Amino acid sequence: MAATVLRASPGVHRGVLLAVGAPVPVVLLVGLAVRWSAALTGAIVLLGAQQAVRLALGNDVLDEWAPLVGGALLLCAELAWWSIEPRIPAWAQAGLALRRLAFVLLICLLGAAVGAAMLVAAGSSLSGGVPLELVGIVAATGVVAVLAYVARHSP
Amino acid sequence: MTRAATPKLGAYAGLAGVGLLAALVLGRAELAVLAAPFALVLFFGLALAQAPDVRVALEVDRERQVEGEEVNASLEVRTHLPVPRLELLLSLPDGLESEAPNPVLVALDLDERRELEVPLRCAHWGAYLVGRVQARVPDRFGLLAYERAYDLRRPLKVYPRGEALEKLLRPLQTLSFAGSQTTGTRGEGIEFADLRPFAPGDRIRRVNWRATARRGEPWVNETHPERNTDVVIFLDTFAEARSGSGSTLDLAVEAAGALAAHYIRAKDRVGLVGFGGVLNWLTVSGGVTQLYRVLDSLLDAEIFLSYAWKEIEILPRRTLPPHALVVALTPLLDERSVRALLDLRARGFDLAVVEISPVPFVEPGKDELDRLAYRLWLMRRDALRASYLRFGVPVVEWRQGDPLQAALEEVRTFRRHARVTRA
Repeated sequence: MAATVLRASPGVHRGVLLAVGAPVPVVLLVGLAVRWSAALTGAIVLLGAQQAVRLALGNDVLDEWAPLVGGALLLCAELAWWSIEPRIPAWAQAGLALRRLAFVLLICLLGAAVGAAMLVAAGSSLSGGVPLELVGIVAATGVVAVLAYVARHSP
Repeated sequence: MTRAATPKLGAYAGLAGVGLLAALVLGRAELAVLAAPFALVLFFGLALAQAPDVRVALEVDRERQVEGEEVNASLEVRTHLPVPRLELLLSLPDGLESEAPNPVLVALDLDERRELEVPLRCAHWGAYLVGRVQARVPDRFGLLAYERAYDLRRPLKVYPRGEALEKLLRPLQTLSFAGSQTTGTRGEGIEFADLRPFAPGDRIRRVNWRATARRGEPWVNETHPERNTDVVIFLDTFAEARSGSGSTLDLAVEAAGALAAHYIRAKDRVGLVGFGGVLNWLTVSGGVTQLYRVLDSLLDAEIFLSYAWKEIEILPRRTLPPHALVVALTPLLDERSVRALLDLRARGFDLAVVEISPVPFVEPGKDELDRLAYRLWLMRRDALRASYLRFGVPVVEWRQGDPLQAALEEVRTFRRHARVTRA
């Protein structure tokens, strides 16, 4: 993904994007090798940061590939977390892994579809203002609430 | 079931939060779009989270087994709700090994009941409790995990696999009850002893007709009567030499089990003395019940570190009946048991010492000083054995891998040629 971003970007920004994206494979490999979920999170954050830098350095036109990138990020994260799970053999149920893979692909596609819907909404001629700011605040508050939930239910 | 958040939940929440905040700060909707799939997983994962209703039952097909054999544990899992992933771990104590995958992953549908067979190999003798089952159900999105430990423990006794012995050590004296030990005296029995002239009162069926025809007067067969005897197995539990998975105590317990089984089969009465940091004893008795008592008692044999000096007097008098054959199984590592055995001999007990050799469990060492210490230790052991022999106590060294029968034959040979002395 980092390489794709680099390839698709104009030459002047490649150095910055390379600086952000280059550590991704290393961090991901370390996370997979030592089964360390924080490293996986770091790798996904770096991929997202690379996208953010690309968008910040680019023009103001909405990037129509963003939903697919979002879905791909989720796919990366799901596969990475699947990889670091303890290896437990299935009890005579060979279809378990296939069923899970299908489920992962489904939620990635669903995530991309939701992203696409959001992008359509963002591209509409709706003007900014208090209502949109309120939506943003509610979203941010929701994130804080989820984080609080996580902190409370952590083992 | 206890619910716990997985690291993935925190990571996804963080990713979604960072993405949304970055979108607000940078004013780019695409960043919110990137965060949306993660937020979606969080939303559905938390909204659809439901505590699973998993019930687990355990059946173990037998309560007693012999070392090296298998028992079948059957785990029955049932649920009223679909469970996409159920991780089951049957916690096994050291000495039991699972022949099937453990832990194992199972998927259950609505109202499904599944039976999982877990063959367990009894790798080592001992008394075990089998049946602590850990169940873990991650939710479909992997954000939350429900865990529960089921205490379904069942007792399982694994008896040591004894060697098949053909000949037993014959005691010097027998009891007056019928048994399988041929005595040295003459009387009613099966084993031929000698011929003698017919005397009034002899039964006709004892007449040896060939001898009678040859000598011209009636001669009768004399026989040795078969009697039973008391055997006390003396297990030294003061110290052991251990290396890897084997130890002198393991060997001693295996030998004790084999001896007890064979003597009881020969209608003898068997007792057990565990002489060590903790004292255990079983008074002599016969029959299958006594065999299981002895075996159960052997399963509890452990080395308890103790510096307290113990002598043979602390044993109750009835544990060592007079004229009993005492078979000591000892690594001869602790001065207390060495002295106690000599004390037994001094009290006139018919004693045979099977030395469970600790030598294979001890490394000679790498430097010269270690090797010198090792050689000195071996010489001291030789001197110790010689002192037993001086007292007329047969000592035979038995090593791991050697047949116990060979060691017992050595004792029989010694006793055949040794003169009985009374200290």
